[in-house]
Amino acid sequence: MFGWLFNSFVTPSQLREKGVLGMNGRNYNFISKCNKRSLYPLVDNKVITKKLAHEYGVNTPKLIGIIEYQHQAKNLMKMIGEYKEFVIKPAQGSGGRGILVVVSHNGEIFTTASGRTLTYNEVYQHISNILSGLYSLGGRYDDVVIEELVHFSDIFSNFSYQGVPDVRIIVYKGFPAMTMMRLATKMSGGRANLHQGAVGVGLDISTGKALNAVLRDCPVKEHPDTKANLMDLKVPLWREHLEIGSKAYEMTGLGYIGADIVLDRDKGPMMLELNARPGLAIQIANGFGLQKVLKNIDKNYPQNLNAQERVDFVLGKIKL
Amino acid sequence: MLNKIKSVRFVLFLCLFISIIATTISIYYKVTYWGFSFKPKQSTGVWTIEEHISFIPNGDRIKVSITTPEDNNYFKVLDDSIVAPGYVIKTEKNGQKKFVLTSKPREGMQNIYYRIMLYDNEYTKGFVKDTVPPKPKKPQFDSIQAAAAKEIINIVKENNEETDFPEKLINFFNQKPVHPLVASFLPFKISQEDIASTIRDILATEKIPSKIVKGVRLEEGRKSLDPDLLIEAYIRNKWRIYNITNGKRGIPEDFIIFQRGDKGLVDIEGGENSSVQFAVLKSISSSFDLASHRATIADQKTWFDYSVFNLPINEQNIIKWLSIFPLAILIIVIIRNIIGLKTMGTFTPMLIALSLVQTGLISGIISFTIILIIGMLIRGFLSKLNLLLVPRISAVVIFVILIMQFMTIIGHKFNLNIGLSAVFFPIIIMAWIIERASIIWEEDGATNATREIIFSVTTAIITYFVVSNEYIRHITYAFNEINIVILFVVMLLGTYTGYRLLELTRFAPLVKG
Repeated sequence: MFGWLFNSFVTPSQLREKGVLGMNGRNYNFISKCNKRSLYPLVDNKVITKKLAHEYGVNTPKLIGIIEYQHQAKNLMKMIGEYKEFVIKPAQGSGGRGILVVVSHNGEIFTTASGRTLTYNEVYQHISNILSGLYSLGGRYDDVVIEELVHFSDIFSNFSYQGVPDVRIIVYKGFPAMTMMRLATKMSGGRANLHQGAVGVGLDISTGKALNAVLRDCPVKEHPDTKANLMDLKVPLWREHLEIGSKAYEMTGLGYIGADIVLDRDKGPMMLELNARPGLAIQIANGFGLQKVLKNIDKNYPQNLNAQERVDFVLGKIKL
Repeated sequence: MLNKIKSVRFVLFLCLFISIIATTISIYYKVTYWGFSFKPKQSTGVWTIEEHISFIPNGDRIKVSITTPEDNNYFKVLDDSIVAPGYVIKTEKNGQKKFVLTSKPREGMQNIYYRIMLYDNEYTKGFVKDTVPPKPKKPQFDSIQAAAAKEIINIVKENNEETDFPEKLINFFNQKPVHPLVASFLPFKISQEDIASTIRDILATEKIPSKIVKGVRLEEGRKSLDPDLLIEAYIRNKWRIYNITNGKRGIPEDFIIFQRGDKGLVDIEGGENSSVQFAVLKSISSSFDLASHRATIADQKTWFDYSVFNLPINEQNIIKWLSIFPLAILIIVIIRNIIGLKTMGTFTPMLIALSLVQTGLISGIISFTIILIIGMLIRGFLSKLNLLLVPRISAVVIFVILIMQFMTIIGHKFNLNIGLSAVFFPIIIMAWIIERASIIWEEDGATNATREIIFSVTTAIITYFVVSNEYIRHITYAFNEINIVILFVVMLLGTYTGYRLLELTRFAPLVKG
């Protein structure tokens, strides 16, 4: 009767052997040890992240405008100007909440990436919601960021149901430690968050090739909507991806960070956002534990390398 | 890095260890000296004994010594007071406590009242120290009495081998009709005191040391009675107490001893025609009410003054309510950090649980569900109106109030507890639950929203079962220092870096491939 229970559980020692990082371990040993609280705003606020990225020469989607106060919302159309497609997002949002992707509009009717149509009033409403803090951490008043839409590379079109597929890199002390690609599904509503039902594909850190894939914490082989074979996935410009991740360390000073990177078909890899509390599902997507990797970095990786050198080291181009 | 964890943990473990020891001592103290119990709603029987001493002064200086009762296995003295206007009262502690009252010569009938409060002492086990007494003096019998005594001893010794000698002797004296041999000792009206002294004399001829024990049998509403007597005989190296009316061994359960030995209960110098009478009254008091009295006697009033039990009842009730919170918080910490259930808001489930305590589980859950469902339907409607956040949540708050009012009215009308329980849920918390559930519903889908609600309610129910337990509530209040232990347990859990229970299944694919 309890067979299923028995089968679906493993012992802590089995997990430890696999080097799996648990939530408590992540929070205590990595986040609270490596991430200074005062640095959080650098990643929690997308406007600040964008500015920082610009200073460090990291590509990000172009900022169209910022709305800080309710009365500025009236200037939306002026701000958008010639742009036919754009993204509205909260500056301090989390988990992909409150992001509105407009793919076309005529000033009255706005069409979103998922094909939904909104009236101007509804878009205006959405901006008000963001300003009043509906999507921000802890319900604080928030700013609205309007930025250019990323045209993701055609290579991925088969692998994603609407939405923008992105690469998540866990960066530990500046070294890319683990990577995965997140693919939107019908279930996730076009968003690339694993807990909303997106597919996570673990990528080989040295090649950017698919290793393994999960959907809602369960292994999968093909995309549930497009039926594409997920094992065929290979991210081009892999080194450039890793470099962006690696630079996030210099940018923010945070020792344990998740960098989300999208591949624009024209402009190449761009940093979308950073996360000071990246999730742990990436381990399931890769099929191995993160703790092992992080310990190895602590023990065996050289210090005082710059971003380029760290990527070289991870790719095996520098040997000690 | 590792050293830092270890040292933080070490310090916390040390704190935990110290707090456990301190708490244990404090609990021991409260139980022993304040008479606290681990059981809730403990009420203790309190006996009030009033000793009425009266005498006529003979013109000399008056000195009255009053013996106080000694604690025994069953009763402990809680409070005593003397009403004796104009007398100088001193306490003497030479073995048993004594009150000594002195006064210049007086006139007219003197009345002194000595009042003692006793409570059923379930915790302390008193014991009597055995000292070897000297051999008793040979009694002064005339020739007839001596012969009768010998004969009584022979008869008693022949009888029934099983019971011991004093017991048989007492039974012999108590048999009805009175045995002719007994009559030779006690020709007239037989008083307990006469029987006792005769028995002692006969025991003395057998070289058995004995004492008279004076005290009072506690019996509801006894008034104006003479002290009861027991006989204590030293047999086989032990003092044994015998009931003078039936020969039974041991202190009767309801007997409180005032005096062991030959001296009187009350010693009066400068007076005559004295009489000592007792009145007994029983009342029931709660353990907490008594604690103050006990603290006073234990000379620890200062400590008690700074404890919560000295507060007015109303404040005590509030503190009793607060005292359960740390445990509820501990449960939330365990559920979130050790088990790994994701709940809506950190302490929301705890607040729901505390509401459930007031509403009762079933009707509370039903009423919570009704408020949540109606609230979410209304919230869905409000989101179509595109209101700003603060006014929208405010509208939800007002709707929650209206739903609660409606449910209460309906509940009252149809006599349904479910409806009446609605008012106990915190309005703002309910509004936020509705708001949050609606957002998760819209953003992450119905499955995620339902799951989070179910997890939160499950957590609330688990918390409810712990905090609604009468025993646990009593203990966290009566022994509120436990909360310090809980504090350090919570802080120690903050250094727990192991896997959460649910991660054992979440990451299972990594092991099983």
